Amino acid sequence: MSTVSVSSVRKNFGRVTAVKDVSFEVFPGEIFGLLGPNGAGKTTTIRMMLDIFEPDGGEISVFNGRIDEAKKKRIGYMPEERGLYKDLQLEQTLVFLGTLKGLAENDAKARLEGWLKRLDLYDHRQKKIQELSKGMQQKAQLIATLLHEPDLIVVDEPFSGLDPVNTRLVKDIIEEQREAGKTIIMSTHQMYQVEALCNRIVLISNGRTVLYGEVSQIKREFSGNAIVLEGQGDFSNVPGVLEARRQNGAWHLALNSSVNPQQVFRHLAQQDGLQIERFEIAEPSLDDIFVRVVQEGKEAEEVRYA
Amino acid sequence: MHKIFLVIKHEIITTLQRRSFWIMTFLFPAIIIFFNLGTQVIANSSFNQEDVQGILAGTSATPETIAYVDEAGIINHLPPSMSATTLQRFASEDKARAALEAGDYEYFFLIPADYVASGNLIVITKDFRPLNTPNENLLSFVLAYNLTDDEQTAVALLDPTPNIQQQALAPQTGNDQNNSLTFFVPFATMFIFFFLISMSSGFMLQSVTREKENRTVEILLLSLRPRELMLGKVLGLSVVALLQMVVWMGGSLLALNRSQAAFSSVSSYTLPPGFVIWAFLFFALGYLLYASLMGAIGALAPNAREGGQFTFFVLLPLLIPLWLNITFVEAPHGTLATALSLFPLTAPTAMMTRLATGGVPTWQILVSLGGLAITTYIFVVVAARFFRADTLLSGSSLKARRFLTELRRPA
Repeated sequence: MSTVSVSSVRKNFGRVTAVKDVSFEVFPGEIFGLLGPNGAGKTTTIRMMLDIFEPDGGEISVFNGRIDEAKKKRIGYMPEERGLYKDLQLEQTLVFLGTLKGLAENDAKARLEGWLKRLDLYDHRQKKIQELSKGMQQKAQLIATLLHEPDLIVVDEPFSGLDPVNTRLVKDIIEEQREAGKTIIMSTHQMYQVEALCNRIVLISNGRTVLYGEVSQIKREFSGNAIVLEGQGDFSNVPGVLEARRQNGAWHLALNSSVNPQQVFRHLAQQDGLQIERFEIAEPSLDDIFVRVVQEGKEAEEVRYA
Repeated sequence: MHKIFLVIKHEIITTLQRRSFWIMTFLFPAIIIFFNLGTQVIANSSFNQEDVQGILAGTSATPETIAYVDEAGIINHLPPSMSATTLQRFASEDKARAALEAGDYEYFFLIPADYVASGNLIVITKDFRPLNTPNENLLSFVLAYNLTDDEQTAVALLDPTPNIQQQALAPQTGNDQNNSLTFFVPFATMFIFFFLISMSSGFMLQSVTREKENRTVEILLLSLRPRELMLGKVLGLSVVALLQMVVWMGGSLLALNRSQAAFSSVSSYTLPPGFVIWAFLFFALGYLLYASLMGAIGALAPNAREGGQFTFFVLLPLLIPLWLNITFVEAPHGTLATALSLFPLTAPTAMMTRLATGGVPTWQILVSLGGLAITTYIFVVVAARFFRADTLLSGSSLKARRFLTELRRPA
């Protein structure tokens, strides 16, 4: 039974259609990646899911039905644009947000103490939020999201502004929540974090679902459409290549779906100025898949409106 | 309901925690009172205006001795009620100048030989005193007394204008029309109500835009409906506004009592019965009306700076009675003052000014209050239309066209 089910939702703001057709399901005990380029409609989709916006079409089910006030208390949301009262004390702000989620003030304070200590914020609890570093504010935001022990956790760019130590800490906390059976929806542009954490993903581009499924399955489907090569010369302008980037002395080329590695190899072999020393078919990274799907989607959209 | 209560509590606590609130609540009225009373005290001590009739009646303190040289030979005796030490005669100008040089006097009067023909009285001072000239009233009175040999005739010569007692047919307040407080109290009431309503409704704008700028509004909207958020804010800030009103009105009434105690010559000023109750009702409705408008501006504006550009237009109706304050002084129950006090948007300041003057018919107060209540209800309902998730989360600029577009959108 899914925790969240989004089916063909649509949302317009005046003449602008922010979300055209998005569908996905999220299940308990999984970390689900909600991906897409800037302006793709991710935030609007999240806001519709959380009943902040009313969808103009389609259906959304949360905890097996329409969202209501009781269900909202079971949701923790960390928006991309962090929201904390900058001129108020840390403890006061977090207790207020906790009580809005149904916690009694004393319970909120008791739970908060544990979280503050764990995230090294206890000594800063009487400080105004504007006096805290960006990383500290980020951790405080995570506490505001988790203080009321929600069953559905929606986090937008949870690692932004964190150093490697705190990134690891937040990652561990997200993993813990998954192990506790919570449903987690994570939106981020950090694809390596998605690969490390997410079981399944949905990729939204231009308001539509363009990719949806298990990460491992998607990677298998896209293998053969990326190559790694080493050699002498410039491999950045090869026909049929969507993106070429150099990493540790090797070239990583993401191929267009209409081109296969053999065609690319034949083309490169005929070039006098290029010398190939290594050529292998790579399993594409989510980054490559993201770029390829988004670019192809953009081209298709341009053809549609041409 | 519990969540609305939490927002109310949050608004009260966070506003009371701000230093700026306490500065505006206590320091601002303190400065006004200081300038009001302070300048009166300074003025009172700076000008030595001897009150001739007061001295004669024994109600004013005897002034310092006045030196004079009588070249006309008019002053031969003093009025019986006047002390012999009030005046010091010098036989010649040279002797009087010597006393002036010695520092015995600040000035002396020279009554020239042709005084009866010319009426000129010369004052010779140690230094130039443009704003504090020696008062010649007492000496003029003694001169008139010596010329007429009658005290009452001498007083009449000094002030020949008739003592007019005005009796209006309209209901009267019982306050002395010549009392400076009769002018000052209604004027102060107008200012206090303008500042109270504009400042407290300004809290609403600040609160909404602060949450937009802090991005907390998105988190709040997961727990609260936009209109629950608006209701919580309006009610929470109304408690803060009432506190401010109690401080300001209490401080003003205290200042009024103190000022009457400090200047015993000023006859007492009484506010009409029920003034405090009317003040509470007009303030509460005025606050709700303007706070809902400010809330609507806050919901549409991306930040406080842009919102602030519209506050002048929103508060314009409250300002109109201030601009026309002379109308309220000259004819508090005239057509214009009455019309402004009945028009809902200007009523909070205009009616309270008239109420402070006194003599407002009860039916006018009730019509004004009823109109204000209906208008406030309509404005709260209209403002709630702007409190939507998309407006609260939008970063779009606030322009007049957008205001109208959002107004026309279905609720």
